[in-house]
Amino acid sequence: MVRFLATRAVLLLLGLLVAAALIFAVLRVLPGDVAQVIGGTRASAEQVARIRAQLGLDQPLPVQFLDWIGGLLRLDLGRSLVTGTPVAGELGQKLEVTLPLAGLSLVLGLGLGIPLGVLSAVLHRRASGFVLAAAAQSVAAVPVVFAGVLLALLLGSFLHLLPVQGFPLDGWRQPGRAFASLILPALTIAVVEGAVVLRFTRSATLEALGQDHVRMAAAKGMTLHRALLTHGLPGVLLSVVSVIGLEIAALLVGAVIVEQLFQLPGVGRMLVTDVANRDLVKVQSELLVLTGLILVVGAVVDVLHRVLDPRQRERT
Amino acid sequence: MSAAWPRELLRRPGGVLGVVVLAVLIVSAVVATFWTPQDPFATDPFHRWQGPSGAHLLGTDGVGRDVFSYVFAASRTALLVAVLSSLVAGVVGVVLAAVGALGPRWLREPVAVLIDVLIAFPVLLIAIMLSAVLGPSLTEVVVAVGIGFGVNIARVARGEIRRVARSGYVLAARAAGLGPGRVLTDHLLPNIAPVLIVQLSLSAGVAVLSEAGLSFLGYGAPPSTPSWGRLLGDLQNYVTIYPLTAVWPGLAITVSVLACNLFGDALREATDPRLRTGRRERRRVR
Amino acid sequence: MRTRRSLLGAGLAVVTALALAGCSTASSPSAGGADRSAVVDVGLYLEPTDLNVRTTSGVALDQVLIDNVYQGLVGLDPSGRLHDVLAERHTVSSDGRTVDFALRSGLKFSNGHALDAEDVVWSLNQVRTTKTDVGHGDLAAVKSITAPSKDAVRLTLTKPDSELLYALAGRAGLVLDEQASNDLKTTAIGSGPYLLKTWKQGDSITLTRNPKYWGTRAKVASVVFHYFSDRATAVNAALAGDLEVLTTVDPTLKAKFQGNQDFALKQGASTDKYTLVFNSKRAPLNRLAVRKALRQAIDPKAIIAAIGGDGVAQGGPIPKGDPGYQDLTSVDAYDPAAAKAALEKAGVAGTTLTLTVPNVYGTTVSDVLTSQLKAVGVTLKVRSVDFTSWLTNVYTDKDYELSFVDHAEAHDFANWVTPGYYFNYSDERVDALYEQATTALSASEADAKLAQAARIVADAAPADWLYTAINETAIRSTVTGFPTDFTSNRLNLAGLAVSK
Repeated sequence: MVRFLATRAVLLLLGLLVAAALIFAVLRVLPGDVAQVIGGTRASAEQVARIRAQLGLDQPLPVQFLDWIGGLLRLDLGRSLVTGTPVAGELGQKLEVTLPLAGLSLVLGLGLGIPLGVLSAVLHRRASGFVLAAAAQSVAAVPVVFAGVLLALLLGSFLHLLPVQGFPLDGWRQPGRAFASLILPALTIAVVEGAVVLRFTRSATLEALGQDHVRMAAAKGMTLHRALLTHGLPGVLLSVVSVIGLEIAALLVGAVIVEQLFQLPGVGRMLVTDVANRDLVKVQSELLVLTGLILVVGAVVDVLHRVLDPRQRERT
Repeated sequence: MSAAWPRELLRRPGGVLGVVVLAVLIVSAVVATFWTPQDPFATDPFHRWQGPSGAHLLGTDGVGRDVFSYVFAASRTALLVAVLSSLVAGVVGVVLAAVGALGPRWLREPVAVLIDVLIAFPVLLIAIMLSAVLGPSLTEVVVAVGIGFGVNIARVARGEIRRVARSGYVLAARAAGLGPGRVLTDHLLPNIAPVLIVQLSLSAGVAVLSEAGLSFLGYGAPPSTPSWGRLLGDLQNYVTIYPLTAVWPGLAITVSVLACNLFGDALREATDPRLRTGRRERRRVR
Repeated sequence: MRTRRSLLGAGLAVVTALALAGCSTASSPSAGGADRSAVVDVGLYLEPTDLNVRTTSGVALDQVLIDNVYQGLVGLDPSGRLHDVLAERHTVSSDGRTVDFALRSGLKFSNGHALDAEDVVWSLNQVRTTKTDVGHGDLAAVKSITAPSKDAVRLTLTKPDSELLYALAGRAGLVLDEQASNDLKTTAIGSGPYLLKTWKQGDSITLTRNPKYWGTRAKVASVVFHYFSDRATAVNAALAGDLEVLTTVDPTLKAKFQGNQDFALKQGASTDKYTLVFNSKRAPLNRLAVRKALRQAIDPKAIIAAIGGDGVAQGGPIPKGDPGYQDLTSVDAYDPAAAKAALEKAGVAGTTLTLTVPNVYGTTVSDVLTSQLKAVGVTLKVRSVDFTSWLTNVYTDKDYELSFVDHAEAHDFANWVTPGYYFNYSDERVDALYEQATTALSASEADAKLAQAARIVADAAPADWLYTAINETAIRSTVTGFPTDFTSNRLNLAGLAVSK
């Protein structure tokens, strides 16, 4: 187990480093002189050169890269090229929106997907099971934006149940309002991702229904459903855990789009704005935070899977 | 795998639906190249936000463009992106898989790590990164989907290639002195073709979704290219005021993606008898 | 969009500002009904990059600090007329070379220090002698600034300058405390009715009532300016109850306020000139006939309709309200048939032109332009770029065919006579007329010369002045005294009040 943890940790660090290197490499080919932007149109060539030196943009690329990585370790993500504000502080603030949004979406997505998935597998010979599966297939094809538009129309505009767009200006100091404004966006992601979880759970459950020990238990007098619940479900849940690692990527990407649609001040919206403004320093850190989250959650899920699965545990 | 797969495919309702919708999409894309009811870009600011009527089947948008013509014309963009992305993804996937499975020993491990890291990069983030460098364009969408979904194909195809490469006749061919390139083209590709085609049709769905998401955010289609996602982006601030307009491009995307997925799933079942019981697992990237 | 803020400010910097101080605004509620402990939340879009009024250009800073925290000898009222602020009165000598100011008595800075003629001389001299100070160029004609007595200030000029008083109502004329040693980048000490309390960068700026104000004290306890990255978010924040006032409401989103009892929408003037520039040094745009035909192909009325109706056709380089304005909308008025014929005659039918537009302006206008030019056989390729690229390619390198941006500043006709400005326009007749206008001894003479110059510019069609924006301000029914004209340049909140 220790050996597994060690290799997984090394792999995670390696992954983070490769991701950082890729992001840095791609972004530094960026055309356009950042120093000229900061200097404004009236800056002379000397002033621009001075700004470039101040920002370290005149250093060789490997030095710039190491500077960035070194800063990351000290939680110093540099300063915005345009406004000069520290990136770390702003990113932290935006994560206060994005992380709860992603967490809520995950909970809602799993809460919808797993039970309905099991249900549709159990009912797979009946019409209702087929309808569930077909609905899941259709919903999984809906783009997140469109799901958001439909939900906003349905719950927000017609039923006037929830705030449609925006987030309170003073954020979580109004916890009730802040939470309420995350519900529709989270539900949007959850419905689409939940459909994917549903389909996965369904096939895992169908497989469990065909497994020997479940059938054996059923043969010993349990109903098939009870047998499934007691003997099959743990295995199903275990394989669902492994999907979470993959779903987290879809979740965060969904958050980028949903934050734009629902005007939430999160990391995704920040990223979109900063790309439009070519604020290189911010964009590279935002991309790394998002991919880092995906890699870290992936690693955690791997470890969790290992811990929960008795078969795999024995092997180490 | 047998030559009977087209018949198998059409025996499945999902397959039929997929084929029909894709055919409609192709036809409308071809027709839209030459003709749309109205110029999709002709603005008429004095008739903004009109409801559906004889002149405007789906009404007009915020600058008075005919929504039906625009959505119709955008089918071409979607199809183009889907086809090109799938091709790029296929090439990226097969090359990575071949190197990872058949390449020199010292190269296999790094390729495996690269595939694992790239898989953590969602298509959207790759595209945003490229967009920061190159500016918004459809090329960047195609490249992003090509790389992003390509590594998925690589992972699937690598296993397939390894399996086939260990089979008797390939070993025999290699023993007879056939080079790795010839082995790949003569023996491996034909054998992994069914798996590949399934993956390609799924990647087409991913491509349509990605293009929509990216164009919505402003990173995809440039203003001169009609795009469903772009239209949704233009409409996003007005969905509470003029809700109906946003429904059309949204529906178009959904139906197209659904068709790609149904087609892919049915194809997989049709080409692989082991899968006919219906075990499915696939990764979606958005 | 923070970048946009700084870029529009520091970068485009198309001169500082319109002054429109406008002391107290319209109606004020009866004293009994006013809530003196009220906090007013105001929605704005452009956040300053730092607060140093001397080194940081741009209207974002003027909007918040001038009139409210910093004051000058003179200011402008809401309709753009000059009036005295720190000065009790001012006189200009008959040869236009001497300007005398008599200071009010009892003037004080917010830190308690007395404000006297020495502070004024010191402040103006700083700007006059420091090349990098914002407004330095506006004082070019000033030879000396002296204080004949403790409450009098005299400016001596090398030549008459009809724009001088206007300039003194803006950045160049702000009076700071000589004895203060605060960091101008993050704090501000002035003589105005409000104090700068806090600045949460990327979020908001808070002003509070100046308890030591020399004049009538502010009627509200504090004002919080919240900065929004886009207009739709701001509208939602207002509707959700987070704001009392929202400036520059996006006209296409006005419908969201319909049926809302809490807010009233008020229309006001602006000097936001949405300008489509033709690069006169690029073929085929170097030909007058082509440029005139393009202007004829464009229908400003349709563009104004597309943006939601909040604009007036401008026709020439000077907007209504600025000196030298005259109605030039009949020059090259919309006539697609004539345009098409002219383009065919010029042999450029079927040509492709590229429009470079910063992505902050959205796609509405470029969509309509593309469609209108297509109707006369010109293909418009829209290149939507980040502001950085616009600055580099268009503003600095002048590597463009057509460009579309908002020139927000008032009194900025000088752009047409600035050598090397990105307009790529020059005409000696216009240069001479502008010089005559600035050295004119009377306002009416200056007006006449500017009008003549503007006419020449309009006839040369170096650009199409698509429209001047109309500002729409959403104001909660309990709020009075909030200015509605020129709000993107100046916001004088001296008369702001909230009823109980």
